[in-house]
Amino acid sequence: MVIWLQYAIFQRAIIGCIFAGLLTGLIGVIVVRMRLTTIGYSIAHSAFAGAALGVALSATVDPLVTAIAFSITTALFIGPVADKAKLPVDTITSIAFSLNMALAFIFLTLSPQVGLSSEVASVLWGSIVAINNRDLIFLVALTSTVLALIYLFWKELFAIMFDRRMAEADGISTKPFIYFTIFMVGVVVAFSLKLIGGILVYALLFNPASSALQFSYDMRKIIVISPILGIVSCISGFFLSLIFDMPVGSCIALVSTIIFAISVILSPKKKRG
Amino acid sequence: MVPAIKLNDVSTVYEGEKRPAIRDITLSIEEGEIVYIVGPNAAGKTTLLETINGLLPVFKGDVLVLGLDVRKYGRRVRCQIGYVPQDFMVDPSEPYRALDVVLMGRYGKIGVLGRLSREDKERAIEAMRLLGIEDLANRPVGKLSGGQQQKVMIARALAKDPRILLLDEPFSNLDPESRGKLSKLLIRLNEERNITIITVTHDIQQIAGSHNRTIIMDSGRIVADGDLNDVLEVAEKIIPTSFWRGIW
Repeated sequence: MVIWLQYAIFQRAIIGCIFAGLLTGLIGVIVVRMRLTTIGYSIAHSAFAGAALGVALSATVDPLVTAIAFSITTALFIGPVADKAKLPVDTITSIAFSLNMALAFIFLTLSPQVGLSSEVASVLWGSIVAINNRDLIFLVALTSTVLALIYLFWKELFAIMFDRRMAEADGISTKPFIYFTIFMVGVVVAFSLKLIGGILVYALLFNPASSALQFSYDMRKIIVISPILGIVSCISGFFLSLIFDMPVGSCIALVSTIIFAISVILSPKKKRG
Repeated sequence: MVPAIKLNDVSTVYEGEKRPAIRDITLSIEEGEIVYIVGPNAAGKTTLLETINGLLPVFKGDVLVLGLDVRKYGRRVRCQIGYVPQDFMVDPSEPYRALDVVLMGRYGKIGVLGRLSREDKERAIEAMRLLGIEDLANRPVGKLSGGQQQKVMIARALAKDPRILLLDEPFSNLDPESRGKLSKLLIRLNEERNITIITVTHDIQQIAGSHNRTIIMDSGRIVADGDLNDVLEVAEKIIPTSFWRGIW
């Protein structure tokens, strides 16, 4: 294992794991507490549609760019459409999911390549060892921005996570913060695609946050525990994948699920009744 | 002087419904008044409170709170109103301490990007002290009893330092001793801070003997408005007798 760490490619991958785990663990708490649970997979699948479009357009566009564009566009539309349609956000994300899957298959049919090309597959499964310095800079910048925004708007997010209607009654305009959260999820999913892939990124959004919620009655502790568990999941999953020669995304999802199972069993909340 | 609350021919319709939950309500409440709103279930009492604080959109008419149109200045208005909803219960696993919940009452006033100051925390603790729950500050709110949770929500409303209090069935989960103490506290706050207090209750025994203004609602309308003894006579003829059983 120590030998691997001497190579720049693995060093970058580990740094990528740390920031991706931190970022998704942080956002995950807000997503889980706001009950926006379908948003992760909906946006991940919009990335799949975007990547398929990129492939269909052949060499003119990078599939990762179209994947990011689709993710962010979907994230931008979900909140306002839910309000306009007067339906829960989860319902609109499910509609967006089916739309994006339909588009993905149409784009794949139009693609000059047969079946799932390696570009589309890389968006779906991710490849953390392929992360380059530019990706790392993006990831660090995104993590810093998200951290700063959560710090600035913590009290509003804190109140909305407790009860949106009561937050509104206390004079907080909740709508912009809900939109802002959905948008952040879109951006985080989009920029995590290269690392762990669109299919498994939502395991990192939900599992560390759900595990952290098992350990404390204090949101301030949960928002610290969740990113730590995200980082542990990412790094452990990464090394597991190296040792057993398995896909990184799958290993990360597996580890984070095991951590969740252990958290449920060991939860001090259960002991207190 | 500008009334604390003024409703002019107001109707509110819930989404997907044709029949207004409250209809043609015209009402003026002066600053510093204590008003009870009484009526049977589905009379429109909660709808009236949530129309006043702008949580429900007005279908027809105008709502002015402290001289401000709720439609235009909803957020500003809500910063001045302490609202206690009916039967607000928190799941036992919720990761929030009682003090966290009470402090939320300060958030609107602090404004976006503002940080909680020492004064905000002192106000929150003071509100908890008024309700005798300061020792619960660090307990998870979902682990508290129904009555304690209700007091936390009342403390949240008081921590805001409101000019108006809208209380929806604030006595419902409290034991008789706590009800008496809360009644006295509200009267004291009204006298000392000139807070306008509007309390919704379907338990008319709770206000028996009171000489405050009482509004009786039924089927979304105000059927009587005045001193309790005066309005009872009118309302008795309109509202089913089962509602009045036990009051006399």
